[in-house]
Amino acid sequence: MGPLVPQEIIGADWNLLIAFVIGIGFGFVLEQAGFSSSRKLAGMFYGYDTVVLKVFFTGAITAMLGLLFFSLFGWIDLNLIYVNPTFMGSAIVGGVIMGAGFIIGGFCPGTSVCAAAIGKIDAMVFIGGIFLGIFFFAEGFPLLKDFYMSGSMGPLKVSDVLGISGGVMALLVIIAALIMFKLGELAEKRWPREEY
Amino acid sequence: MSTRNIIFIGLLLLGVVIAMVPENTTKPYKLTAEDMLVEVQGAAEMVTADEVAHWLVSKDPSLQLIDVRTPDEFQKYHLEGAINIPISAILKDEYLDYVDQGIMMNVLYSNGTIGSHQAWMILRQLGFENNYVMQGGLNYWFDTIMNPQKPALTSPDEEFAKYDFRKAASAVFGGGSGVALTAPTQTKADKPKVKRKKKKKAPAGGC
Repeated sequence: MGPLVPQEIIGADWNLLIAFVIGIGFGFVLEQAGFSSSRKLAGMFYGYDTVVLKVFFTGAITAMLGLLFFSLFGWIDLNLIYVNPTFMGSAIVGGVIMGAGFIIGGFCPGTSVCAAAIGKIDAMVFIGGIFLGIFFFAEGFPLLKDFYMSGSMGPLKVSDVLGISGGVMALLVIIAALIMFKLGELAEKRWPREEY
Repeated sequence: MSTRNIIFIGLLLLGVVIAMVPENTTKPYKLTAEDMLVEVQGAAEMVTADEVAHWLVSKDPSLQLIDVRTPDEFQKYHLEGAINIPISAILKDEYLDYVDQGIMMNVLYSNGTIGSHQAWMILRQLGFENNYVMQGGLNYWFDTIMNPQKPALTSPDEEFAKYDFRKAASAVFGGGSGVALTAPTQTKADKPKVKRKKKKKAPAGGC
């Protein structure tokens, strides 16, 4: 039956409206969870606050288990799910740049919009930076194009590369996440910060 | 036990379950039995040998002939430009790009109609489009295109037009006697509509 949009059970117009509602909900939850504070994201780097790790990995695990069980019950055709194509070189460099931006700015693109919505000036500056980055990237794209497109590996899944089933991969990710949650809490004890 | 630990253990158990069960490899059938019945009765998947001959003569670039017989039979004789996908291998991944695509028009053939039709049924059940069956297969191809029989003198004009075209075509394919090539009048059929598959892409997300 699913996925609903590629199968056109939900039309393109409704798709946007539903995305809008989910986006509002996402922003609301981010704000409620305190992600509009730049110290929250930076805390992930300094080790005094690992909520970001827990929230996003919990989200990823929930979605992953949901998709796999839906597929098991025949409710969704996983072959129709869009998988981002992998460009190895540019993905690594992009990840490093983005990670550095998280630490320096204290926001991810989503949380910066949240924080700007409640009037935080640093978040507005951050959004300005995002647009500058987009502008220069787009203008400089001819120079970057060769590197940007290099190492194209198509829509890869880690489970396919390792030659294991999606279910075993899911179990490994869950175990890794739980270990990381534990390590995160140890880090919070090791590098506590009273006021932030 | 704290709620948190219960959730942790619950997640782990779900992970173990999903790791143990086999992946759902059953692709949901795109067609119901009723749909299939309508399609088979409509016989829209059938193309005649004359149509195939015409496409071959006019070097139609969208035509892809697929020989579903065994490699041995394929080696002995096959139609010009045909590729060999034995019916036993039709589900193999290496052929997926040939049988599941939206650009070329695949015409399956075997010696008769049965083998190619079996292959077509399998492909259609998987939801693949643009696959067709050459009616009568190679046997009929030889009887009509390669060795056309002169129609009776009382036959309608169309029969003669058909005969002329077949004779000309057989000359092109290396059979019969040479006759100047004339375009067929009656045998020309509208090419089945080539449907381009919709790109199944959802917008990429981020945080």
